[in-house]
Amino acid sequence: MSRLNERFKKLYKIGLVITFAVFLLFLFYDIHNLDSDSKRYLSEHYISEGLQETGATNLVASVLYDYRAFDTLGEATMILTAATILAFLVPITKATMFGTTFKSIVNQTVKLIIPYLAVLGAYLLLFGHISPGGGFVGGVVLSIIPILLTITYSVEFSEYIFKPDQKKLVEDIGAIGFVLLGLLGVLTGSNFFASGQAYFRTGNAGEVFSAGLIPYINLMIGLKVGAGLAIIFNSLIKEK
Amino acid sequence: MEAAVWVIILPLLTAFFLGISKLYFKRIFFPLVTGSAIIYLFLLILVITNSYPPKVYSIGDWDLLGINLMVDPFSALFLLMIAILFFPFIIFSMKYNKFMKHDYFIFAYLMIAGISGMVLTADLFNLYVFMEVSSLSSCALSLYKKTDRGIEGTFKYLIMSTVGSFFILLATILTYYLTGTLNMAEIPLAFEDIPFKIKSTLMTFFVFGYAVKVGLIPLHAWLPDAYEDSPIPYNVLSSGLVLKSAVYALIRVLYIMFGVDFLDESRLLNIVVFWGVITFIIAHCLAYQQSNLNRLLAYSTVAQIAYIMIGLFVGTEAGLIAGSFHILNHAIMKGTLFLVVGIFHYSIAAVEIKDIKGLGYKFPILSFTFVVASFAIVGLPPFNGFLSKWLIVEAALEAGFVYVAFFILVGTFLSLTYYLKVIVTLYTKNEQELEMEKAGLSLKLPTIFLGSLCIVFGIVPSLPLSLINKIPEFLLDNEDYIRILLGG
Repeated sequence: MSRLNERFKKLYKIGLVITFAVFLLFLFYDIHNLDSDSKRYLSEHYISEGLQETGATNLVASVLYDYRAFDTLGEATMILTAATILAFLVPITKATMFGTTFKSIVNQTVKLIIPYLAVLGAYLLLFGHISPGGGFVGGVVLSIIPILLTITYSVEFSEYIFKPDQKKLVEDIGAIGFVLLGLLGVLTGSNFFASGQAYFRTGNAGEVFSAGLIPYINLMIGLKVGAGLAIIFNSLIKEK
Repeated sequence: MEAAVWVIILPLLTAFFLGISKLYFKRIFFPLVTGSAIIYLFLLILVITNSYPPKVYSIGDWDLLGINLMVDPFSALFLLMIAILFFPFIIFSMKYNKFMKHDYFIFAYLMIAGISGMVLTADLFNLYVFMEVSSLSSCALSLYKKTDRGIEGTFKYLIMSTVGSFFILLATILTYYLTGTLNMAEIPLAFEDIPFKIKSTLMTFFVFGYAVKVGLIPLHAWLPDAYEDSPIPYNVLSSGLVLKSAVYALIRVLYIMFGVDFLDESRLLNIVVFWGVITFIIAHCLAYQQSNLNRLLAYSTVAQIAYIMIGLFVGTEAGLIAGSFHILNHAIMKGTLFLVVGIFHYSIAAVEIKDIKGLGYKFPILSFTFVVASFAIVGLPPFNGFLSKWLIVEAALEAGFVYVAFFILVGTFLSLTYYLKVIVTLYTKNEQELEMEKAGLSLKLPTIFLGSLCIVFGIVPSLPLSLINKIPEFLLDNEDYIRILLGG
């Protein structure tokens, strides 16, 4: 009897999911058939005027860090909150990791990779406004360095090189720097997060020092995301 | 309107600086928290007084291309609630929490930043982002004690709130796909060509998503569990602000984006009013069965929010005024009740109703405050709860919902039974000697302040009503709101 009951419950759940999926399918079909191409003025504007208005060759960066920089502030705050919650939840006592020992070839290769990772991360951060990349991507690449150290050597070694307190400090400095960069706009008599409108357009599009505040915001986001992800990974792996 | 953006970034900056202060400068903790709260209070008052006529602040000077903040009387009401609750919360939790104060206040400030962002923004995706900030930090606060029950309750909360967020995000994405814009003024203009079927589906997603966050029955199950073993000052902010901010977002989305005519046409107003009636009747019955004080108050919160939803969804001017007034009143009354229970918990570790037997003679002033607040929440004159409840009944009768008026009367009697149960226990003689930790002035003052507001707003309702009376002007008829946001 109980087996039948369980099977019925499972079928019920699957049925619910399938019903919802079919419903969404019909909804998307209807929506897709609507003529909504005439209402694309916002994205058209971003594509055609974005370069002149923000000075960033990378369109994604211009939307992410200039038009809608306030959203990015909220998203970055969410990463910081998640990192803080994990650091707060996981006890400080260090659990030993599963006893994997790697051959020396792995250890040597990791040593070789790390400088390249650092260069790649720095490139993605600093050239985010003129080539594909940006603060989030660069931060993730940079955070791979402590994560690699944790995986190949141990949590202790990784935290000996990058102290948890220092990572937290870097994360907070990134967050504060982001807000302060936004406040520069207020200081020059314009609005919060104004870059192009508030005399921050320096250089021509395509140069490293161009696009107003975007490169600096990229740098801050990179610090914050990189440190945040490293904290999150180490906290999760320490958990018993 | 520079102050509007400061209302959001000051708590954010405070939270980030607290993170640094935790590591290196432990000594600046106290001046940082209190100083920032005092400045924040001034900022809030500045923004509230400038809220009529509504002002628009464009982030980054992009006007309609970027994100806009807008302060109208409805958001000013929520800022007023933050102003009333936040300072008592800080004073109370300074004393109440004995460990890890830094993390606690980091999360509290992030939560306040999220809520103020939600109530100020005029952009659909920005609303979602700030809602996530507030609900994530709210989860963090509710597991703050790290007890088994607290973690279990928070896990439920996290799962349910994620399900709600999923539906809201889905609806937001579809809205952007259909209209090509996220600005709350341009969406209603673009919505005119969308077929009824698709529009009502989108509306259903929004309503379902926010109903989870608000906690209407049968989507309420996370709420009592999350409240049971969380720090009690957090419960004050949660029932006063976090749930209410979801109500705010729902009302803002429905009334501005869809318009009251569409709500009437799609019968949503009738559905939500009926849903509200069912919710408060069941929640009152469930509250009667509880033996745990926190759970009792949590179920009472579910019921009170159902009253608020009824008021706001009657769809008339009187209903909006009544619902908004009850939002403010419930935040104050429930805040008082939770703070008194918090002091009992602090002094004698009371959790169950039987634990507080005879405390009425040991804490005379506090128990009197509890009685005042519970009479107010039941809806007895001359307290503030009576007025807003009366206004809700009047608005429901005026709009033709006669059964609602009847059931609110029944609900009042139901709530009277379980609050009387607590009050009678409070004043029953108990010979047993109790080991007490003395509750200092920093615990008592915020409680008495909030309790006195129950009486003040009951006798002089014109104080908050002068602000609340302006709310329907920019909510019921969305044309004015749209015109101001578009820059007219």
